[in-house]
Amino acid sequence: MRINFRINGKEISVDVPPYKRALDFLRDDLRLTSVKEGCGEGECGACTIIVDGKNVPSCLMLAVELDGKDVWTLEGLVEKGDTVIQDAFIRKGAIQCGFCTPGFIMSVKALLNENPDPTDEEIKEALEGNLCRCTGYLKIVEAVKEAVKMLKAQGGKP
Amino acid sequence: MRFDYVKPRDIMDISKVKKAGGILFAGGTDVFVKMRNKVMNPHLLVDTKGVETRKIDFDGKFLTIYMNTTYSDLLRLEVVKKHFPLIFKIVKTVGSPQIRNRGTPVGNVGNASPAGDFLLSLYLYEASCVIAPAMREAKISELVKGPGKLDLGEDEFIHALKVPYLQGYEGYFEKVGARNAMVISIASIGVLMKRKKNVIEDVRIAFGSVASTILRNKEIEESVKGKMFSQDVFERIGEEYEKLSKPITDIRASADYRKKLVRNLPLKAYFNFKGEIP
Repeated sequence: MRINFRINGKEISVDVPPYKRALDFLRDDLRLTSVKEGCGEGECGACTIIVDGKNVPSCLMLAVELDGKDVWTLEGLVEKGDTVIQDAFIRKGAIQCGFCTPGFIMSVKALLNENPDPTDEEIKEALEGNLCRCTGYLKIVEAVKEAVKMLKAQGGKP
Repeated sequence: MRFDYVKPRDIMDISKVKKAGGILFAGGTDVFVKMRNKVMNPHLLVDTKGVETRKIDFDGKFLTIYMNTTYSDLLRLEVVKKHFPLIFKIVKTVGSPQIRNRGTPVGNVGNASPAGDFLLSLYLYEASCVIAPAMREAKISELVKGPGKLDLGEDEFIHALKVPYLQGYEGYFEKVGARNAMVISIASIGVLMKRKKNVIEDVRIAFGSVASTILRNKEIEESVKGKMFSQDVFERIGEEYEKLSKPITDIRASADYRKKLVRNLPLKAYFNFKGEIP
């Protein structure tokens, strides 16, 4: 099936089989390998992408559903130089094996777009759908607070 | 797994492809998980999002939630937070932000899981649904026949949910599970209660995950109306529901443990209403 959509700011038009998951299409066909498969059932958040401003699990979504959408993966944020959240994760050591990190960053991105100054509780709630088996989450929450600080210092612009 | 995909533009077309054996989905948060676990193997998936999503409507009597409306849409509405606080609270515990951005209340009813948290709230509010294509109305509790089973014709599907507005009720909801997010409950309880000078005027109690559908019993509820709000009454409610519950043993908990929860959760509700538990 023919779909037209915007991926990381670029318009593309491609043919996809109706049964292909968005996760497999982005990762295997477009080689956007920040999109990772963890559980494959929407529980771990490793495959989180942003579609029309909302963070969603790409493992529970078909590629054909991307038609007409504005889709972002971590690669897109890097390309446009929007690396504040990444930098904050590095600065605070909120990374160990790194498998969950792209998913976390996309959820943080969606959170800060809607709520640039979240409370600790709001940060935790916003990240409930992302699992990390290494860090214990404290450093991740610290990294989000750091990103908020860094964004404020930049006048809110990435 | 291979299947075809269609995205009809109107109600009649959805109805037609459903009759031909298509499986409907909106957010896919249940359907894709079931397909992955080989519980379901459809040859045709019908994306309902081709139909224009009507905005959630509140006319002072009913909250109407149309198909394709997501949990996140619901949480963003001030009217839900203000006039349906228990629903607001329950929806906040559904899945995770990612799941709430995709999953829909109508889909939750369609899935008819005995663990469906949103479904439990609909039993408490005595909600009904509008069924397409004829737009007939049915009570949710009468529509749901068992896990995944709905009393629908081959060409029928849920178009909207209608939740009556209740005034003067206090609400309580508790989900017992291993962690906060993404919890499929071991058991859950929802209570709506109306008190006048500490006399119970009305009480509605529903349990999730302790029978083949949401468990609610009007006889037990009737038997405590007019009684003083007291620990004794809530203890008795627990005892009665324990007798009625038919839980199963599964990977999350044993049937015995669930029975104990059914007995004790009403007490927790009591202390909560009393203000002794924050």
